[in-house]
Amino acid sequence: MERFRVCFAKSGMLKYISHLDLQRTFLRALRRAKIPLAYSQGFSPQPRVVFAAPLGIGIEGINEYLDLFLTRQMQMELLEKRINKQLPMGLIVKNICSISLEEPAISALIGAALYRARLEMDPGSLQQNIGNLLSAEQLPKERQHKKGKKQVDIRPFILDLWEEEIGGSRNLFMLLVTGSSGGARPEEILELLQLPELRKGTILTRESLFFRVGEKLLTPGGAAYNNINEVKAWREKLL
Amino acid sequence: MPSLQSPQLLLRVNKPARYLGIEINAVHKEPDQFQVHLALAFPDLYEVAMSHLGLKILYSVANAVEGVYAERVFAPAPDMEEVLQKENKMLFSLESGTSLQDFDMVGFTLQYELAYTSILTMLALGGIPLRSADRGVKVPFVLGGGPLAFNPEPLAPFFDFFVVGDGEEVLPEILKLYKEWKAESSAKGRDDFLKKVAGVTGVYVPSFYEPFYREDKFAGINPLAEEASLPVEKRTVLNLEEAPYPCSFIVPFMEVVHDRATLELFRGCSQGCRFCQAGIIYRPVRERTVSKLSQQAKDIINQTGLEEISLSSLSSSDYPYIEELLEKLEAELDENIRLSLPSLRADPFGVKLMERIQKNKASGITFAPEAGSQRLRDVINKNITEEEILEASRDAFRTGRGHIKLYFMIGLPTETYDDLREMVKLVQKISSFTPPKSGGRGNKSRVSVSVSNFVPKPHTPFQWEQQLNIPEVKRRQLFLRERFQKMKGVDFTWHNAENSFIEAVFARGDRKLAAVLEKAFTKGCRMDAWSDMFSFSAWMQAFQAVGIKGESYALHSPSYDDPLPWDHISTGVCKDFLIREHQRAVEGITTGDCRWGNCAGCGLEACSKQNGKGEQI
Repeated sequence: MERFRVCFAKSGMLKYISHLDLQRTFLRALRRAKIPLAYSQGFSPQPRVVFAAPLGIGIEGINEYLDLFLTRQMQMELLEKRINKQLPMGLIVKNICSISLEEPAISALIGAALYRARLEMDPGSLQQNIGNLLSAEQLPKERQHKKGKKQVDIRPFILDLWEEEIGGSRNLFMLLVTGSSGGARPEEILELLQLPELRKGTILTRESLFFRVGEKLLTPGGAAYNNINEVKAWREKLL
Repeated sequence: MPSLQSPQLLLRVNKPARYLGIEINAVHKEPDQFQVHLALAFPDLYEVAMSHLGLKILYSVANAVEGVYAERVFAPAPDMEEVLQKENKMLFSLESGTSLQDFDMVGFTLQYELAYTSILTMLALGGIPLRSADRGVKVPFVLGGGPLAFNPEPLAPFFDFFVVGDGEEVLPEILKLYKEWKAESSAKGRDDFLKKVAGVTGVYVPSFYEPFYREDKFAGINPLAEEASLPVEKRTVLNLEEAPYPCSFIVPFMEVVHDRATLELFRGCSQGCRFCQAGIIYRPVRERTVSKLSQQAKDIINQTGLEEISLSSLSSSDYPYIEELLEKLEAELDENIRLSLPSLRADPFGVKLMERIQKNKASGITFAPEAGSQRLRDVINKNITEEEILEASRDAFRTGRGHIKLYFMIGLPTETYDDLREMVKLVQKISSFTPPKSGGRGNKSRVSVSVSNFVPKPHTPFQWEQQLNIPEVKRRQLFLRERFQKMKGVDFTWHNAENSFIEAVFARGDRKLAAVLEKAFTKGCRMDAWSDMFSFSAWMQAFQAVGIKGESYALHSPSYDDPLPWDHISTGVCKDFLIREHQRAVEGITTGDCRWGNCAGCGLEACSKQNGKGEQI
């Protein structure tokens, strides 16, 4: 068996499909592309494709990840070409790398995500509000669960917030804890900062996913940052 | 090509994936590529519409016609309807975001009566006047087809024309005719086209006919125009093998009701269940060959990447080459492609087939004995014995299946409480086969009983029967509920009696009911098949406002001599046969399946058996 890590983007109209829809859409594209998928054992064998982290409806993701288990080795360029030929518009594979079978499941490793909100309407100065959030001890937030409402303190899930000007327009960056053991959603931060929500036209993008190892932030694709400041510095270099 | 649905619309609804229109295999054409723009409309939610085979066939057939672009339009979910109204936007097609009113033609599929109000909703949201009489020159032609086109009278004023029978041959003819007319003589007005299209076999233009009544009762229908043929003959695709079949199914993003590819093994059914309309209107039985089907299966999987193929028909274990087909599919398809067999007969052969294709036993098996007693099964001509049902159930449990689902109907002609007691006994016997501890699945029910209510359908031997009144339906449901509740491992669900009543009214309705339908729509009725949307009180108000009693339709048993509102639409099956079958039903005499036995004399000319060749085509 071979394992590959696929970095892909989900954007355009496809940002409106749910995580489950995305999984189904990818699997069907892989089958059309005749990729030799490995299947799990048992009564109802499932193809072994593991997505890194679900992305909310309406948010685009430009560096999303999934791990692919194949029954045989394939040349990565060919793999990428064949998959891309079958993906619907809005989904595209950006690159593929080989990964050791020994590595833990990608979904279990994801610990943080960097989001960007484009601030279309001038919200006035955010410095004060951002500072307040970051210096708060607790940020209780009510969440709707299946079994009713629940209070959650989301302060521990906010790693950093900062503003950047890109091409003359303002952007809010949110580095948030995410993953299997809890996290904050970018919409919750927008709400706390009294910024317009998605449906009011705010464009939200998940720029990157990270594994967290102590202070370090590592992208599933292999880039490593020693701390949050290095992530910010990387961002600034992009400008 | 991106579709035109705006983010402002899409983010305000629950499941935006319903409205994207850019699924794999969706067809996109540039405006200069077509002269005729057809909307294929399904009056229900995306997930229902996208489960329907007919829509897929017509989508591919229409798009293959030179100069034609066919797109999909479905009923908006209530949240989308609200957004459309708030934003003053028109109902749009999925592929190009075109408003319904800007199409040349809008074709609705007519699958179940409870979708009728959704048709009116879609017309209204699409900016099309509800009544064909009010439609001007630039308004699209509204057409309808599907099983309910065999009694289209309650819909007559809202439709410009109907297509009766198989659509895949007729639709291209209509589209070509329209293309010529649009280019050359559209200045002559709508009626000019309707006169032309009325000449196509299988087309019914309701405005060319006028029903008349005696003492408020339907008494007949008069043709008003030279072009109005009497009766309107249904169209039949005789050579199914060579009929177009869409192997590039659209691949939905979201999960739909039937989230799988479909092979159509054969069309029609000769078992002759007397309540069943499909068994009459889709006659004769027409099969596809194993080699054709296996080629289609491969093509579908290649073009869609779907993980499951349903081997579909009205009764799949009746396909004579079913084992040969399974063998070929198992050999030729990827081992991870699942096969499924809906509509199996409740007999050991059905279980054997199921065993073979379904390795995952947790998923259960479904049988439809329809009636609980042998007496009543003979009345409805469900030719299956209690021993077969019991053996099938025993086999299913013995081979490790964890769950059996049973479909019954109540209110069938001649039914008494004794028949219900027999049903209870039958279920008890089946549930006693449950292995005490299998699979370690706790206290989960092993037997599910689902009971629907008999609806007399036009063109069937039971068209002369009446439905049970609502209180009596409820009494019988309660009778069963009290008994099934006490049984361990059995759960019981039943259909809403009011729902079935409305269905019965419209199934055998006449043209006068159009006014009720329109009233119900203005009172907010839509998507009546969804229990959370259905409002019986709104319906009752609509009947009252128009001054029509639903009971006079649903609870009425016409005599053989009474003219029926659908008599002018011909299925090819003669009335004498239906009368004979009805009489045999009352006497409890069964009629054998003509596919294997003697010709039952249904009168169908298109059937080779009747022509003395002794074999189906």
